[in-house]
Amino acid sequence: MIDATVREPAKLLSSRPVVSKGFVTVGVSTVLLFVVCALVAPTSVSGGAVLGMIPFAAVLAIVGLGQMLVVQQGGIDLSIPGAVSLAIVIVSHEPDGDNSRLLPAVVLALAYAIGAGLLNGFMVGRLGLNSIIATLGTNALLFGAVLGISGGTPRSTTSLLAGIAGGLTWGIPNSAFFALAALALVTVMVKRTVAGRRFEAVGANPLTARATGLRVTIHQSLAFVWAQLLYCLAGILLAGITNQPTAFQGDAYLLPAVAVVVLGGTSLLGGRGYPVATVIAALFLSQLDQFVLSLGVPYAVRTLVQAAALAVGVALYTVDWAAFRQRFIRRSPRIGTPA
Amino acid sequence: MKRPKSLAMLVMSLAAASLALAGCSGTSSGSGSGSTADAGTSVAGAPSWCGPKKISLGLLDGFGGNSWRLVTTAAGADEAKLCPSVTSYEYADGQGDTQKAISDIQGMVAKGVNALVVFPDAGQAMLPALRSAYKAGVVTVPYRVDPGGKDGVDYDAWIGADFVTDGKNWGNWLKTNLPDGGNILFISGPKGNSQAVDELTGMKSVITDPKYVFIGETPEVTNWDPALTQQVLTADIAKYPKIDAIVSDFGPSLVGALPAFAKSGRSVPAIVTSDGNSLGCFYTDNSAANPDFKLMTVATGNDNVRLAVDYAVAKATGGVLPTDTVFKAPAFEDSVSGKPSTVQCKKDLPGDIYLSAKMSPEDQAALLKK
Repeated sequence: MIDATVREPAKLLSSRPVVSKGFVTVGVSTVLLFVVCALVAPTSVSGGAVLGMIPFAAVLAIVGLGQMLVVQQGGIDLSIPGAVSLAIVIVSHEPDGDNSRLLPAVVLALAYAIGAGLLNGFMVGRLGLNSIIATLGTNALLFGAVLGISGGTPRSTTSLLAGIAGGLTWGIPNSAFFALAALALVTVMVKRTVAGRRFEAVGANPLTARATGLRVTIHQSLAFVWAQLLYCLAGILLAGITNQPTAFQGDAYLLPAVAVVVLGGTSLLGGRGYPVATVIAALFLSQLDQFVLSLGVPYAVRTLVQAAALAVGVALYTVDWAAFRQRFIRRSPRIGTPA
Repeated sequence: MKRPKSLAMLVMSLAAASLALAGCSGTSSGSGSGSTADAGTSVAGAPSWCGPKKISLGLLDGFGGNSWRLVTTAAGADEAKLCPSVTSYEYADGQGDTQKAISDIQGMVAKGVNALVVFPDAGQAMLPALRSAYKAGVVTVPYRVDPGGKDGVDYDAWIGADFVTDGKNWGNWLKTNLPDGGNILFISGPKGNSQAVDELTGMKSVITDPKYVFIGETPEVTNWDPALTQQVLTADIAKYPKIDAIVSDFGPSLVGALPAFAKSGRSVPAIVTSDGNSLGCFYTDNSAANPDFKLMTVATGNDNVRLAVDYAVAKATGGVLPTDTVFKAPAFEDSVSGKPSTVQCKKDLPGDIYLSAKMSPEDQAALLKK
């Protein structure tokens, strides 16, 4: 009882801000980045450059949303390279240039994704394996499938998929609509449905959730399935965007996917997820790439700038500025008073 | 004094190899294949490089995982079939793993293969394995990638590709077709790859006039990855209002990136690169809408392996050695002059075949279907 009364004011305080800290941080950073881009390298915010950047940002956003769901359950999914590559390989090799066979190929890709998700979910949720180990294993299996289907060779995508994923509607890349749809779906599911609220509760504290009678295993397992479905969507889009993808195109998404989740403010320990902030973080990272490319600096400097920006971004978020300020304010009146 | 030890090792690895690969019995140990007839005699009805001595041939790949390698490997097997003296043929894929590529060589030597044709992807790291095969009396011919070392000391001969010639071909075409000079964007693979260095040397030896300007980081780094190529090109299109020509050493990777010009409301410029069916078809589909779009390609060089096989077989069977030990990729398509060929596109076949290769397009397509 005493605990409860003591805690109450703190609770009210922390619930005051409507928007999450991650959202503010990454939102402000993104706006700042665009301002800097416009000042330093104006070509990086020109129409053509932005249109070229958005599809890749969309793919990263969708992959990031998937990773976020897993991270919410305190896990981490390292099977992204295999999952994205497999989706790409299936939708480019199975139809083999024939538009009419695209739909069955997409269905097949989704089936593989569900299979991989169930496997991850079973190993982590049910058997209680460490998610790093389990998903790494699944990644190897998925790459086995990639090589089995493709022999490691790339294949051009069908013209239909290239048109859908790479085309424009009302001057906006179609892939952006897919990313927004994925964002809306994830947000509504997690934030506005009973199952979604339970999902977050389980992520925040599995033990408490179990004590209150929530089906922890199911929620933890299904996170991997939803994630795989999102990776699959991202892979299908990427196949269309690049036209002639390699069989290992997913490799480039492992680290950025974790980065956008962290930049978006979702704790790696699990709990609340911030889908909107995650998507903005994807936009941030992609524009950062574009910015450094537009600067025309050598490749070595390019990678350094990207790494530095990521470090600063994470530091901005990780450092507790409120506490920092509080300590600073509290200190000043102390000066006169003896201890 | 080293002889018994290496003999023991050979016996052991032979035993291991025969355990692992059941059904490859009957190969006698291939000693003495290093000493070949100097004059060179050929089998009647076969190419001059095919001598009378019966041999077994091994083809080794460091990384066999793309369509270019698939076609190249099949071309190597095809070439070997032309010579009846090659009684057995084997292939091994290092799968991008240097350790495996090395043990593949050792395994083949242990099995008594007479001649080896090797794609040494790992470069210098492959040299000791090549040397030990050569010292064991096996005709050893690395090709395309330079493993370091010397002909006749570490291996019989290195059949490299002459990328300087590619660069010269490109440079000459640019001089002819952009007589007033212009901005040239050069795109290549990983940072510092030797192929790009050679190509640039070739180009710069021809293009000396300062009215030709290389823009951006020369070469732009794309790792030959279509997604990265697209991002790099998008940034460059935004950055440089005037790009007169793009030079790329892997044409097909441009296909996904070129539509970026249309998105910026500009015409695709002149493209100078290596061939691929998807690129040819992209030209056919888009040349009408892009007034500045001209295309010139050199052969992608799948037939480099044929020259290497010719050399290895000639050396091992006692045939006539090819006079060239460097593969010069011929110019292939030219949309302006139509020589040696106009731009080719086989719509009904996959985009990932190379019409410049000797192997027929249909055969290549069948390979990819497997």
